[in-house]
Amino acid sequence: MAASMFKRCLNAAVKVKTFSSCFLARRWLLSAAYTDSKAWEAREKEPQNLAVLANTMDRTYERNLPVSSLTLSRFIDNISSRKEVDQAEYYIYKFRHSPNCWYLRDWTIHSWIRQCLKYGARDKALHTLKNKVQYGTFPDDFTFNLLINSYIKEGDFKSASFVVEEVMLQEAFDLPSTQILSLYALGSYLATRPQLTVSEERALGASLLTCGLKQDNSLGLSAQLLGNAFLGKVENLKGIHAVFKGMPLFWGRGYLGQALAVMERVAAASGDAKLSKDTLDYVSNLLQELESASETDSSGEESEGEEDKKKEDLLDEDDLEEQAKLPEYVSRFKELSTQLESQGKVDSTSFQDLVTVLAQENLEAAEKLDMEEYKNRLQAWEAERRQLIQREKELREKLKKKPE
Amino acid sequence: MAKKKKLRLIAEMTRKIRAYQELKSRPRESQKYALDYETMTRPLTGKRLPVLAWQDVRRESRLFSLLAGLRLFGVGRLFTRKSWLEDHSEPSYWQITKVKVDYTAENMDHGQAWGILTYKGKVESEVKEVDKVMYHDWRLIPKHMEQQIKEFEPLPEPPVRYVPYPPLLRAMLLAQQKKAVGGSAMTEEPALPLQRNVIFSKDYFRRQEEERQGKAGTAV
Repeated sequence: MAASMFKRCLNAAVKVKTFSSCFLARRWLLSAAYTDSKAWEAREKEPQNLAVLANTMDRTYERNLPVSSLTLSRFIDNISSRKEVDQAEYYIYKFRHSPNCWYLRDWTIHSWIRQCLKYGARDKALHTLKNKVQYGTFPDDFTFNLLINSYIKEGDFKSASFVVEEVMLQEAFDLPSTQILSLYALGSYLATRPQLTVSEERALGASLLTCGLKQDNSLGLSAQLLGNAFLGKVENLKGIHAVFKGMPLFWGRGYLGQALAVMERVAAASGDAKLSKDTLDYVSNLLQELESASETDSSGEESEGEEDKKKEDLLDEDDLEEQAKLPEYVSRFKELSTQLESQGKVDSTSFQDLVTVLAQENLEAAEKLDMEEYKNRLQAWEAERRQLIQREKELREKLKKKPE
Repeated sequence: MAKKKKLRLIAEMTRKIRAYQELKSRPRESQKYALDYETMTRPLTGKRLPVLAWQDVRRESRLFSLLAGLRLFGVGRLFTRKSWLEDHSEPSYWQITKVKVDYTAENMDHGQAWGILTYKGKVESEVKEVDKVMYHDWRLIPKHMEQQIKEFEPLPEPPVRYVPYPPLLRAMLLAQQKKAVGGSAMTEEPALPLQRNVIFSKDYFRRQEEERQGKAGTAV
């Protein structure tokens, strides 16, 4: 396994060399110690027969009685093949739709994702994560880090950005390691210059914004700028309601204005903060696209009367006011970018490189904290599990004593 | 006395069984508040929603649609209502403490929630049931805005103004006071406070209902 991991790292290193030449291969991802599952495997396990557990669960569901979270966690712990992963998915779904859905434990989700990664069912894990309403998968930070890391190692940046989107929807950008990993995934995805639909742009923009707000350096500011620009584009095209519905975003209009405010803050601040050049280029491209789109709209208005009506359904008067402000935004953006260049606050390193530098500096320290936290959490989970097993034993003894 | 009333035990039992079955077959939250978005009718009762609500129903979401996608069903998070945002300039929000989801709903879309209300900046002290959970009016306050919204301090209330009574009423009051005191001691001018003490509020009626239910017990 170590040999295959090394090979993967070499392959990834070859890809990295196209972006930045001088950084070492393995340091910019989570280290091997972090992704190692020794601590997890070392905990005490109860070998149970999966068929028996499945039978008990089916019978309890038929009788409309609640299934305990302990049964489900035992089922997931004892998965030993890919087929059983599919069966476990079914039982997670059933548990979520039972009266005990509140009591789904953290360690159950953690072990589910670990098992998925172990048996190569990563797409299953992503599927349950995307439909978190139906499956109840709300992983904790460590689990998110593992998942993002596995996707980054493979180089599948699209799925990695999907996972980052889920982190954003659950507002779990608390640990610095999560922030670094997600910014890395997003940066790499954007660097591949994909064709983005409006909803993808919205998700990317929201993740960049919420992640960037947590970081106080030039990387965070560039992320905030780009995020605000994306959200401003969606706001311009579809109205503010399309922006914040279903996302933890603020409902105030004027996201493009917020982007320009970030630039103003950088220009006015006295510290070292800079904005990276490629983000500024990206934002100027975006604004130009929007301008040309609005020009074609106004010229084609006379011929398409019906489509106008549909658009007016989506857009309020306030939204139309925002649209009218677009030329103003474009001119202000040009002013501010020239001002920033004159002040020397434009960094020529790309977004990707900024992330890599930050990762080199901070990832080790963040990882150490995370691993200690994880060990404490493992112990707490063990204690909770033993308590549950104890309670189950006592309940069984009580039931046995009752007929006497 | 008339003839003795017959002991109709079977009728009594039937009545109890019928009441129990009625209790058991009450429609669940997901069935009561399900909505057909094309015709804006509730399938259970067949009633249509008021026209002014249609735009909101299409654009906004219910509280539980937001809660279903959050960790621990959003316990400890803050939620506002769009109508509050429009009507009041001071922030009003609910902080959720307890959630009971209706697990029969397909998207865990319905249920009951309890929390602490902050209305127009004034934080209340008790946990109450969240009102109007099924309205398509709710918005989640993102974590980076929570601090900003909680920091709001309401202005102190202006002191209560007092106003003299109308002349006839004033004369009546003074006469009453003179009679009570029983002499010509100089009494102070009666003043009418310009403040409305609401006795019959929603809380009052809810408490009455609860007391009545506590005394009567259940139907079965």
